[in-house]
Amino acid sequence: MPSASNPGPVITETIVVAPSAPVRPSWSKWVRITLLVVGAALVLAFPTIAPNPYILSAGVVILNYAVLSTGWNFMGGFTGYISLGHAAYFGLGAYGTALLIRNFALPSFLAWFVAALLVAIIAIPVGIAALRVRGASFVIVSIAFVLILLLVFQSWRDVTGGSEGLTVPRPFPDLLRPEHHRVFYYLFAALLAVALAVWWIIDRSKFGTALKSIREDEDKSQSLGVPTTQYKLIAYVLSAVFVSFGGGLYALWFGDLDPIFQFSILIGSYMVLMALLGGVRNLFGPLLGAVVVGSALEYFKLEFGDTQFHLIATGILLGVVVLFMPDGIIPAVKALFTRSSNQASIREVTAGELLEENRARSAETVPPRRPDASGEETP
Amino acid sequence: MSASLLLQAVILGVLLGGLYALLAAGLTLYFGIMRVVMIAHAAFLVLAAYLAWWINREMGIDPLLSLVVTVPLFFVIGVLIQRLLVSRLKPLTLTMMSVLLTFAVALVIEGGLGFLFTGTQRRIPLSYASDSLNLFGAQVPVVKLIAFGLAALSLALLFLLLKYTRFGQALRATIQHPEAARLVGINTDRVAGYGFGLGLATAAIGGTALSLDATIYPSLHWHWIGPLMAIIVVGGLGSIPGAAIAALVLGVAQSLLQLPMGPTWAQTVFYIALFLTLMFRPQGFFGGRLAKRF
Repeated sequence: MPSASNPGPVITETIVVAPSAPVRPSWSKWVRITLLVVGAALVLAFPTIAPNPYILSAGVVILNYAVLSTGWNFMGGFTGYISLGHAAYFGLGAYGTALLIRNFALPSFLAWFVAALLVAIIAIPVGIAALRVRGASFVIVSIAFVLILLLVFQSWRDVTGGSEGLTVPRPFPDLLRPEHHRVFYYLFAALLAVALAVWWIIDRSKFGTALKSIREDEDKSQSLGVPTTQYKLIAYVLSAVFVSFGGGLYALWFGDLDPIFQFSILIGSYMVLMALLGGVRNLFGPLLGAVVVGSALEYFKLEFGDTQFHLIATGILLGVVVLFMPDGIIPAVKALFTRSSNQASIREVTAGELLEENRARSAETVPPRRPDASGEETP
Repeated sequence: MSASLLLQAVILGVLLGGLYALLAAGLTLYFGIMRVVMIAHAAFLVLAAYLAWWINREMGIDPLLSLVVTVPLFFVIGVLIQRLLVSRLKPLTLTMMSVLLTFAVALVIEGGLGFLFTGTQRRIPLSYASDSLNLFGAQVPVVKLIAFGLAALSLALLFLLLKYTRFGQALRATIQHPEAARLVGINTDRVAGYGFGLGLATAAIGGTALSLDATIYPSLHWHWIGPLMAIIVVGGLGSIPGAAIAALVLGVAQSLLQLPMGPTWAQTVFYIALFLTLMFRPQGFFGGRLAKRF
């Protein structure tokens, strides 16, 4: 880190001083490992704990949400481009799987893979168009893409079955319903594990760092030689593929597709809400958000049935998260356990916070330097 | 297909385009002022239509009279949304977060409408609903003419307000360069709030016009927000004349395509235009650099 060798920051208009490296207590690592093991054990043991098949099916739905939201986070979390239209890839994955099985008699899980491949091919031109412009237009295209697919899948009756929906042949026709839920619960858990692993690998890679630099300041990132357009496109397609896997598995599990549900903007907004609520910068943020929001949604459906109450609740929750907790639960909880607010390393500080910090620094005549801030590289 | 049918389609397209233009002007205002993409615009449109329907049902007065209530009400709501919600967001992530915030507002409105009035489709019974005028051999419904007249009048008023009043100058200055506007003594926060109010007032007028001849239901706004957002991108984000031209062109195109393709497929013209615009001219066709026009 530059602050280690320099005698002291020169007082100019703007000084960029790397904040001191986070001092992680030694127990922190063990807490993480314990939490991970306990969490994984809870997820794997859920089918045996679940009192009845209904609760188990709710568990499958929540895991599905977790897969979708983690998939969304490849784009939203790394690059900061918020897509409200990822339901498009959920629907395409589901319908693609169903149509490939029905029309080409592919084996269920082969169809699932081929559908994801096709989605990747579709996502490339859409991504190129959407990423030509920043921010606002990207969101507009993402929403428009869902709306157009909804129109197409509702109107193109001959192929998609239109509003009557489409039944998907079951991959395991001789399984009883509770067993069916249990098998798909583990399939979804495995898919989630793969998505989390890939996210974790990218998070620690150079590619991931480049994506995060796009999130913080796209112009600077470009000027440092990051091929921003290509990287954004890769992240977008990767994200679409994982969401499509989630959709395809949903089709195989649920067995009945309806365009209004598959291509609903609401599904896309759930992905955003879950990821934001948990924390888009954290590996397990979307999963945590999916557990919270997914359980709440299942509860609302059970209690209030067909009323529009879940819409109001979703809207209010989204508004509260955006206004008061845009970084999510995980950073908020972490902040409870860490004393100083100045402990984050540079890559976990947003450009805005850094700017404010630097302003505060340049306002002081001599920036106080702590002796222990020797600038050790974070492990 | 006969010439009169074609003429009728063009006239209906222009009439529809007028309504699109008014609503797109509102969206353009929000974007110009604060780089906010207001997803809830169409939800407020449907809310205004519901208010017109409700006032008509409860008091039996003409839905056009509901404007007296809805326009000031929506203006106030717009100011409050800007002051209480949008201005609290961090400037760096404003565009993205404002999308989510206004999306949340749209969900609350849709859910609230469904909660209060159920999902049943509603329509205002009007004595003149089926009247039509004969224009050069084309049958044009009177209600569509009224809707267009309302939209055109409001657009003209908006134009005059922005172009010739002190407030309009202050608003345009705020759009062009907020810091410079503050330096010359403009209270940009207040002006931005009023700008939001104006934008939302267009939704009130548009919603009342819509309620005259459309069947309304809570989730209707999704069918409006897509085309409207396509229009503002094709026109060039931030340009009101660009949005108006794009609205008219796309409105006519939609109306013409309805003849061979039917209403559902004709809607795709908006999305195709959006896609092509982003591929070949991402800054939009008529706008150019942001907010240079007003």
